[in-house]
Amino acid sequence: MPERPSQAAVPAPSLGDSLSHGWDDRDDQQLPPSDWGRRAGPRRTATIWLFALITLGLAAGNAWLSGRLTGDAFLAWATIFTAISLQAIPFLVFGVALSAALTAFVPAEFWQRAIPRRAALAVPVAGLSGAVLPGCECASVPVASGLIRRGVAPAAALTFLLAAPAINPVVLVATAVAFPNQPEMVLARFVASLGAAVVVGWLWARFGKTDWLRPPRTSHDPDASRWRVFRESMQHDLMHAGGFLVVGGLAAATLNVLVPRAWVAAVADLPVVSVLVMALLAILLSICSEADAFVAVSFTEFSPTAKLAFLVVGPMVDLKLIALQTGTFGWAFVRRFVPLTLALTLVFSFLVGGWLL
Amino acid sequence: MNRIAQGMVMVLLGAAALSVTVTSQLYLNYVQAGFRPFLIAAGVVLVVLGVATVVVDLRAARGDADEEPAGHDHGHGHDHARGPGVSWLMLLPVVAVFVIAPPALGAYTASTADPAALADDAAPLDDLGAGVPDGEPVEMRMQEFVMRAWTDQDRKMAEWDVRLTGFAVPNPEGEGWYLARLQMSCCAADAIVNRVLIENEPEPPKDSWWTVQGRWLAPEGDIQEIRDHRFEIEEITSVENPPDPYE
Repeated sequence: MPERPSQAAVPAPSLGDSLSHGWDDRDDQQLPPSDWGRRAGPRRTATIWLFALITLGLAAGNAWLSGRLTGDAFLAWATIFTAISLQAIPFLVFGVALSAALTAFVPAEFWQRAIPRRAALAVPVAGLSGAVLPGCECASVPVASGLIRRGVAPAAALTFLLAAPAINPVVLVATAVAFPNQPEMVLARFVASLGAAVVVGWLWARFGKTDWLRPPRTSHDPDASRWRVFRESMQHDLMHAGGFLVVGGLAAATLNVLVPRAWVAAVADLPVVSVLVMALLAILLSICSEADAFVAVSFTEFSPTAKLAFLVVGPMVDLKLIALQTGTFGWAFVRRFVPLTLALTLVFSFLVGGWLL
Repeated sequence: MNRIAQGMVMVLLGAAALSVTVTSQLYLNYVQAGFRPFLIAAGVVLVVLGVATVVVDLRAARGDADEEPAGHDHGHGHDHARGPGVSWLMLLPVVAVFVIAPPALGAYTASTADPAALADDAAPLDDLGAGVPDGEPVEMRMQEFVMRAWTDQDRKMAEWDVRLTGFAVPNPEGEGWYLARLQMSCCAADAIVNRVLIENEPEPPKDSWWTVQGRWLAPEGDIQEIRDHRFEIEEITSVENPPDPYE
């Protein structure tokens, strides 16, 4: 190989030579080298290095930047964003842990036995049993898909999907904490959410067609240990919900700081429009149902009915849920199911809000 | 996002939750004091789960390499192996906590936030009247003072010497400046402001903390129509170390 640079012939090797030197040694060996893909593998090594860099960057930022950044609006935004994220973390972590425990340790056959065969009866039972699955909407989509796969009527499973994120104990406790002087808000949220979910289920049982639903795939290794299912399901739900929660926190903090208060207050005074605006915000912000009450209460100008609409619409219809449902059940389903759900959540928000709040 | 990245994100997020509660008191800038145990527990769970995820993945990788044709492929092609790209955003709160370390809300928010709304069913607070010793000033939270001023139809409070603590906020429209305090029911996102208007004292730098002693200037007319209650200062002292930013 005459073109190969010889170190002896070049008195002062350049940087390029020293970098390419390592490649030359492999010339006569097989490509790629047999040790690639072994051990941790290049992908894993790169990830570990990336996080080492991130940690180093965080430490450097902590040493030189923290507490020295200025800009009133920026700092207020950062404070509110940090506050929403921190206050949602416990709810997210324990909600996901409980949901993973139920997925791993309660066999799906239990639900099948507990839910009656006749759809008209199965729908309200499924709605009420949503009250015992603590988790946010991200958790309820895979559970509902699992129920359908194990033979539960789709209408009942869908009612469960809608009710579970809205009326489970974790969410109701979070709502009570966020509205300390308004226990009627917890009751209104429960009644309106359950009502909307059950009516959607009945309508789906009466008019729905099976081929609108894409048959769900098996997602768990059947012979995986329970602890592995628990750990993986918790990790999966946490990563899916956590990212979208941050999106919600960013949007909420931005709205909180940027949107002129006078403009929001002007909308807040219009009785019907304010409810529709809050419903639209709930759809756009896509906040996890375990944290949405804290965001709702921060819209201090809005009427209780508008806040209720935020709490009822958010867990059943929002951007990340639509994305999840499209991925799980297919577009033909989402195209019909989402508008139906939105219409009923709005109707129930107005009815229950007018009655209880 | 591969498994190691997911595990690392969890560890970092857990570390952020632990650093604001265990190694510092920063969490008081963002959430209610009662959140501390829950934040610590959630932080521990995140760190443990994150470390477990990384360890299991590294072990599985070594296992694959040692016994080449494994019974079933760990990770690859499995539903749970890859997280969505949006999960990277979970690093943002970590950056916010470690790099920005935002302070408690202050004058900027107090000048743009809504003044606390008067609850419809607010009862007059008249339990204090009998218990006030003559000549002694009454120490009051800003929230309580504003509530009393809004409901004290007989203007009884105007005869008391009151002591309030808060931070200075400029008044963008008109005379004087505000002494304000933020009230938080859960986290900083729901903060509302309680404030009094001060006109007989030169304006101090914004966000500086003061304890003032003086009297309520009882307004004429319908007491519930008043937007800002006025306070006349007799004595003003600077606060060295404000304990909790919110009340």
